[in-house]
Amino acid sequence: MQTAPADPLRGLLGTFALCLAVLAGGLVAIYQATAGGTAFTTETLRRTAIAQAPMAVPDFGVVDAQGRTQSLPQLVGQDGRVWIVDFVYTRCTTLCLALGTVFQQLQAQIVAQGLQQQVGLLSISFDPLQDQPPALAEYAVRMRMQADVWQLVSLRSESDRRRLLDSFGIMVVPAPLGEFEHNAALHIVDPQGRLVRILGLDEGAEALDLARKLAPARPLSAP
Amino acid sequence: MATLAPAPSAGWAAALAAGLTALVAVALSLPPFRPLIEQSMVWHMLVQMPLLVLAGWWAATAWAPQEGLRWNRFGLTGLMLAQCITAYWMIPAMIDRAVVMPSADAAKIASLALAGVALRLGLRQAPLAAQLFFVGYGLPMLAWLGWYLASTDLRLCNAYSLESQLRAGWGLVGLASALGLAWAASLGHLLAEPGSFKSRLPVRGVHDSRPKV
Repeated sequence: MQTAPADPLRGLLGTFALCLAVLAGGLVAIYQATAGGTAFTTETLRRTAIAQAPMAVPDFGVVDAQGRTQSLPQLVGQDGRVWIVDFVYTRCTTLCLALGTVFQQLQAQIVAQGLQQQVGLLSISFDPLQDQPPALAEYAVRMRMQADVWQLVSLRSESDRRRLLDSFGIMVVPAPLGEFEHNAALHIVDPQGRLVRILGLDEGAEALDLARKLAPARPLSAP
Repeated sequence: MATLAPAPSAGWAAALAAGLTALVAVALSLPPFRPLIEQSMVWHMLVQMPLLVLAGWWAATAWAPQEGLRWNRFGLTGLMLAQCITAYWMIPAMIDRAVVMPSADAAKIASLALAGVALRLGLRQAPLAAQLFFVGYGLPMLAWLGWYLASTDLRLCNAYSLESQLRAGWGLVGLASALGLAWAASLGHLLAEPGSFKSRLPVRGVHDSRPKV
């Protein structure tokens, strides 16, 4: 069976041109989809996008362990502090425990360096069904949260959960033993209520440095 | 080779197989089956994606031009297109996107089926050297991705749990190995086929006349 045309050169130039066009198209598609070949996972794309274009935190109500409700922008904009934000659910026994440990270390450093006026920690639960105020209070005790440094809030409804996760780019997937897995990270929110940077769980020191730099300078002595 | 000029019945069989495969593959993107690919990387990468490519492959088998396509000399265009499309859908961020964005999912379905067509038309016209180049590049890439998914403790897709990623990783290693074996077997077939290498190897007729053992 003769599959190639009789003239050995027939179509060869067209083939090469088409091959180059296909290759160029493929490379451009991959280049555009990966932020110029720098980000191959959704998580790195999310971090790159936020670093380039900070995003205002979404506006909806959150509830704390005492049952008080306030809006998220109000909470993070209240006192000029920079916030390091993470997302948790209090039943968690795996990744959130790692997150909890990172936050405990950050809390200890903030206290040791006297940064309570400049940097705050905020944990937001994405499980409003389970995490009602009593569960939050119990978790706060378990994590040894200090109220002046580390705040814990939950959502008011399931519909807010979807909005919160979508706006921050968090995906929560079911995992074995009734747990959740999610892309855990340290989210830096500036005093204007903008999410400005997302860092990995292993970058606690960098997160604290960055938060301290972003915090407005305070006079050494009270006016 | 018989597959180059299939009898009309073989063409219909391939068309039927292509249709059924496409039906199953597309159904996996729609309710009520969609949760399968949303929750399991294995269903997404080792069932749906290969079925899409297979549907395209069989469609191209059914549609068998007697002469090779003109701008596909040595199968280069087909192999290049298949390589680009499959590489794109191996990027973890694109796998996530196909899970959460319906438009990306539609693009995935169309492009992977096209990759199957391109692969079939490419391999059909490709001499051994061209096959060796693309198979030798593409399959190790697939196996490497699988090994990486299985061996890293980073979750590379936000849409899937680490456990799901681990199973999909080993599955991809298995798939790459199986495809490599299938390709090698097709070469053996080529060697045994009377007339395939008639200008180079004096095997014509030997196979057929050899007494059965």
